[in-house]
Amino acid sequence: MYTPRMNWILLILYGMIALGVFVAALLLPPFRAVAYAPVRELLLPPPAPVTLNLLYSTEKEAWLSEVIPAFEQSGASINGHPIRVELEKMGSWEINAAVLDGTRKPVLISPASMLQIAALQDASTAQFGKSLVNPANDPACLPVVKTPLTLVAWKERADVLWGQQPGASLWLNVHDALVNPQGWAAYNHADWGYVKFGHTDPLKSNSGFMTILLMSYGYHGKTSGLSPADILSDADFQAWFLETEASIGQFEYSTGPLMEKMIAYGPSTYDFVAVYEATAIEQAENAVGRYGELRIYYPSPLLWSDHPFCALQADWVTPEQSQAAQIFIDYLLSQPAQQTALLKYGFRPADASIPLEQPGSPFDRYAANGFRADLSGLPEVEIPAGNVLNTLRDFWSRNVR
Amino acid sequence: MKLKLTSLLLILSILLSACGNLTQFLPGDSVIVSIAYGSEKKEWLEPLTAEFNAAQNKTAEGKTIQIEITPIGSIESVRGIMDGSLQPTVWSPASSVYIPVANAEWRKTHGDDLVTGAPKDLVLSPVVIAMWRPMAQALGWPEKALGWQDVAELATSAEGWSAYGHPEWGKFQFGHTHPAYSNSGIVSIIAEAYAGAGKQRGLTEADLQDAATRDFMTAVEKSVIHYGTSTGFFAERMFERGPSYLSAAVLYENLIVAQESKRLSGQSSQIPVVAIYPKEGTFWSNHPYAVLNAPWVTEEQREAAGIFESYLLAAPQQLRALEYGFRPADPAIALSAPLDSQHGVDISQPKTVLEVPQAAVIEKIQTLWQQTKKPVDLVVVMDVSGSMRGDRITTARASLLEFVKKLDDRARLQIILSSSEVSTLTPLSELGEKRQQVLDSVSGIFELGDTRLYDATLTAYQELSANGNPEHIRAIVVLSDGEDTASAATLDEINAQIAQFSGEGGNAIKVFTIGFGDNADTEVLKSIAEPTGGKQYDSSPENIQKIYDEIATFF
Repeated sequence: MYTPRMNWILLILYGMIALGVFVAALLLPPFRAVAYAPVRELLLPPPAPVTLNLLYSTEKEAWLSEVIPAFEQSGASINGHPIRVELEKMGSWEINAAVLDGTRKPVLISPASMLQIAALQDASTAQFGKSLVNPANDPACLPVVKTPLTLVAWKERADVLWGQQPGASLWLNVHDALVNPQGWAAYNHADWGYVKFGHTDPLKSNSGFMTILLMSYGYHGKTSGLSPADILSDADFQAWFLETEASIGQFEYSTGPLMEKMIAYGPSTYDFVAVYEATAIEQAENAVGRYGELRIYYPSPLLWSDHPFCALQADWVTPEQSQAAQIFIDYLLSQPAQQTALLKYGFRPADASIPLEQPGSPFDRYAANGFRADLSGLPEVEIPAGNVLNTLRDFWSRNVR
Repeated sequence: MKLKLTSLLLILSILLSACGNLTQFLPGDSVIVSIAYGSEKKEWLEPLTAEFNAAQNKTAEGKTIQIEITPIGSIESVRGIMDGSLQPTVWSPASSVYIPVANAEWRKTHGDDLVTGAPKDLVLSPVVIAMWRPMAQALGWPEKALGWQDVAELATSAEGWSAYGHPEWGKFQFGHTHPAYSNSGIVSIIAEAYAGAGKQRGLTEADLQDAATRDFMTAVEKSVIHYGTSTGFFAERMFERGPSYLSAAVLYENLIVAQESKRLSGQSSQIPVVAIYPKEGTFWSNHPYAVLNAPWVTEEQREAAGIFESYLLAAPQQLRALEYGFRPADPAIALSAPLDSQHGVDISQPKTVLEVPQAAVIEKIQTLWQQTKKPVDLVVVMDVSGSMRGDRITTARASLLEFVKKLDDRARLQIILSSSEVSTLTPLSELGEKRQQVLDSVSGIFELGDTRLYDATLTAYQELSANGNPEHIRAIVVLSDGEDTASAATLDEINAQIAQFSGEGGNAIKVFTIGFGDNADTEVLKSIAEPTGGKQYDSSPENIQKIYDEIATFF
């Protein structure tokens, strides 16, 4: 026999259960999506996103800041949890240092080249007994876009110094121009002062390190097999190397700022710099508005900056984050993101099916400045083992800084 | 009833939690970012700061950002930061040249750099020699590239402009700011040292010991009419007073563009001025924006300073820099009018730069400059009448003592006291030989009697004209706290005397006047100082020291 009082109690009980079910339904991400949107937004916070912390090298900043919002808005999610990417930019070598000393615990890293991934593989194995990255067989650790290291000069000066090509050995020519006490007077241009070259700090920035690696290969006339002895036991090499470096007044911390500085200050400050092809493409138009045309030179042999994206195999990365990282990398490799990288930012897509010479491509637009889509004729250097890379870094650190 | 209340509470709490963080809607406090900056970018920075503050920009925590900017000489500010009297959040000197020196100094007491990382440039402008166009043309410009070497030749030539077919222009009169205060001053003497050593990079301490370097610097400095605390002030002087006062001065390109814009729009009736980009190379004034690595800078100030930096570097603000004659730091902004030949500048220049020497070498160049700079013959006139009693005579005496301590040994100093009598405390002679004696005498000064300002000033002028060395900077500093009450001489006589020497242009005796306290006759003092190329200052016991400090930068 129900009393009116019991009726009330039951009503309240049912009411609470109904509210509970309603709230629980809203809280469960799969149900949320079908819930009545205005109620959902008014009553409840959005479902917790899966966050991908990404440490990346600065050269990709413009491209990533365009494609990441598009990725997030595409509705990418894991079990109803939206995927968010949190970006932090750093020099490529600084990324390795931050991961190894524990000051950062990212889900994903993207230095400028596989050089850093190779070095991190060695260093993390030594430190933790297991590698944090596995580029050999991990679909979540692979190059996404690529661009070669190049020399970029003011055309007016390049024409006087080298014309179309700087002769057989680029790096020997660079050294000779830099150390010539006559400077530009040797080329009948005393008013240009001494010949001024710039590359970034090889301890912080990948392009600076690639430059000194190519210089070392260039001096020894090799494309593979660079050894610690080539660096540490050859006094002539050391003198040659240090003379070149002594002519550089300041080593910028990153490639983008170095190129911007070249354009902002003009040929008074840098006659030519070592930067990526994509960095040069980004500034080719700006250069004309400031001091004139640029001229690009491809060193032979070449060295590529291949911008790997690697999810870390670390205990701070959850399985959900690993899955989300894969979804993100697949998005970067998708056609629209790759096209944007090429057409707007001058990167060469990892997707070989995308043609470099298509309407609107920078390789079309800047062909007269020496930009070339087809580099298949140029040899490439072998990436040396981690101990050789470290020897070169240490040598530079002890003797140049 | 109870149920209704419970439901109401439930609904209310759901609504409240839906609103999220309410604090951001409540009036929060503000975060203040103070910026000590090189005064050359004042015209650009001041209106932008006002607009930024008016927009009530906020930090992530919702605090309103308030920017406070103070113009100060780029080298002077380093001393303030080191001794703690200046504690800005952001330091934005005219160039990066002095940052390594500041870092070296800071490391001695803090074990770390004052400026870490790589500060971004706000705007750019090359250091140039500003010269009147007809004078530059007489030297062969624009067909011939000119440089420090040409300045040295002109400075040492006994004939001056006669050697270039213009006897009517008199001597070559040159100027740069004081290297202990201003960026353009320090880069001027670095460039002189390079030119003297015949180098464009790799300047060493050994180069500075070379007689050729020393002789070259002495030669250039010989033609300097006076130094000064700020580049902006120098430019103003040059463009107000014209070619009879200064033939050329070391300035920034943007100051020339600004002057030519004024001339072309009819706001200045001066003849055209052009930028000479020294053929040996020059330096960039790059206005770095450095958030200091100092204990007084908080995390939220750092964040707020970053937001203001992004604002200054955004395209609209960078475009406005162009209007003021700067080359924007943003490479995406093309160089266009008013950066053109119509405004006296050439954007295809400079063709080359000089390498910034190491901190230790820069410090050695400063020492060398002390030894090679143009000496000063200085007469100080001090009012010691009865009205100076109390606080006034005490602070005036103390600040004069500090002023004397700042003068170098080669300075020649005379001190005249003015009361009912005009008396000489010490005659014109080298300070090095008599420094302690002068300091003792100044300590013993006391107040008495009437004010004979005109008589004392006229005496100073006549004695300096007779005894001063025209090859030196000649200057008179007059301190007065009230109207003249007892002089035989008149203001007209003083003005007539000054007018008599006006043909000497920038090399004429300069009079600096300090009106001390509210009763000082500032109009009279101004009428004495300004025709000479000197300056009149209003002062009180609180700021008298600062004024003496500023006057000291002229020599």
